[in-house]
Amino acid sequence: MPKRRPKTARRRPVLSGGLKRVLVVLFVPSVERDGVTAVDQPRWVNAALEMFGRVFGGATAYPKAQGIWRDDERGGAPVKDEPVVVHCYTTPADIEDARNLAELGDFCRRMGRDARQGEVGLVVGNEYFAIRDFAEE
Amino acid sequence: MKRKLDMDRIAEGLGAERRGKVSATGGYFGAMQLLADVEAKFRVPAGGGRPTDPRWTERRLVPLALKTLERLEDITAWVRKHGGINLEPMQLAALILEKTTSQLSEAEAEKLVRPQRRASH
Repeated sequence: MPKRRPKTARRRPVLSGGLKRVLVVLFVPSVERDGVTAVDQPRWVNAALEMFGRVFGGATAYPKAQGIWRDDERGGAPVKDEPVVVHCYTTPADIEDARNLAELGDFCRRMGRDARQGEVGLVVGNEYFAIRDFAEE
Repeated sequence: MKRKLDMDRIAEGLGAERRGKVSATGGYFGAMQLLADVEAKFRVPAGGGRPTDPRWTERRLVPLALKTLERLEDITAWVRKHGGINLEPMQLAALILEKTTSQLSEAEAEKLVRPQRRASH
């Protein structure tokens, strides 16, 4: 008679709450809202990586992509942009932590203000968030 | 089990507005795809008007009851208030139509269009 395998303890699911499975994406712009004035993009990419590293444990910046969008609040002026896309994987607990969110929000507002943006875009999980009010909190 | 993120809490903590769903995946191609998705969905289309799904190229007149329109207006008002998404009633109608069409079987459609038989007493 074949030997019965001893029952093993129930394994933890691979994608449990503690693992980094939430993707946070930040778009670092290349130009100001006027579509002409260049932003000090390397400085903001560095600052974003440092912030993500400190708050969430790491991030990756992907090289420039080319984009264009129409700014309706400025008479429909086309704004050409070459944003850098910064990816950061984190946990549900870390992204819902009030202090982490405040730090991420502060960074986006500072970048929006200093780089004179109309909007700073952020993706968390499968949702797009827009930050348009850059007043200091 | 996967825990659902509390998006309202995240929006509040960030001081951000929820704008809508995207499909975000990892890696360089995921990043580029996401960028194109965001540009297409959340920036104003080149032809003018509100941000919309670029695949919606067909337009037809759809008759509907006043009660249905009022219900659509109520739902979009709720979505605007709670989700921070600027949505018009007929955009919602188009979304419902797309979703239902993709899920509806031929047999279910036949049931919908067949006249209701009154119960005999």
